[in-house]
Amino acid sequence: MSIVLARVDSRLVHGQVLEAWVPSVKADCIVVANDAVADNDFQRSILQAAVPSSIKLVIGSLEDTAEILNSAQMLKKRVLLLFIDATDALRAQKMGVTYSKLNLGNMHSGEATNRYSCTIALASRDIENLREIEERGVTIVAQCVPSDREQGWHKLIRFEGQRQ
Amino acid sequence: MVGLVIATHGKLGEELLNAVEMIIGPVRNARSIAVSRESSLEDIRREMQGAIQAAGTENQGVIIMTDMFGGTPANVGLTFLEPDKIEVLTGINLPMVLKFFNSQEGIALDELAGILKTYGQQSISLASEYLRR
Repeated sequence: MSIVLARVDSRLVHGQVLEAWVPSVKADCIVVANDAVADNDFQRSILQAAVPSSIKLVIGSLEDTAEILNSAQMLKKRVLLLFIDATDALRAQKMGVTYSKLNLGNMHSGEATNRYSCTIALASRDIENLREIEERGVTIVAQCVPSDREQGWHKLIRFEGQRQ
Repeated sequence: MVGLVIATHGKLGEELLNAVEMIIGPVRNARSIAVSRESSLEDIRREMQGAIQAAGTENQGVIIMTDMFGGTPANVGLTFLEPDKIEVLTGINLPMVLKFFNSQEGIALDELAGILKTYGQQSISLASEYLRR
């Protein structure tokens, strides 16, 4: 199994992921690591219907994700891994989901946030979580869609506290 | 009269309504929502809630049409799904929207939604296939 893209995206599976990222990174499997979706039959079936049949979709709780990724069914898969926010991305790391690079796609935290790019608004809690993820050896970049320039996340928070 | 909310990536929905009005004149009980890269899910949800209320003033139900199953407009639309009150139809096209406005009066929501699904699918054609017939 190789993780071809680990991404934080508050929209989880949506147009940018299915139509831009999947072909760009040649993923043949999407893993959604999210407790709420894993626990909701309606959302699960909607996601299943949205993903083309040529792409394998696995939805698991954060706790189950490490096991899912290491399972035999994933052996030859090129996985696109999705987290809904930085908290989940960090929790997953701590539970043994090892990704070496983390892509920040859409982040719109509901709390008081500062906007850092057109699709990324971070609360201080998000920044703490991302710092902790980085300390675990993960490269963190911001790139909404493949045609955008990839940017180190430090560039985003250079003017921390200021609204752009 | 059934109401219509069109939710799309970018201003596609707004322009579909413009196109419809170009063809059949002013329409009623319709709203559009443009989803941009900047929109947060909460913003979209709030806007859709308002649009559903504005389009559904006659309590005959509302159809939410979206551009693509699996896209954000459809994902948010599906959270409003409520049989007999709110239907969600994906893969919007102009014939489908025109058919809606020619049928929105005196028909039950579920029946109209079913007709529009079939109609939208049947409205797609590959011209060269006609030549081979």
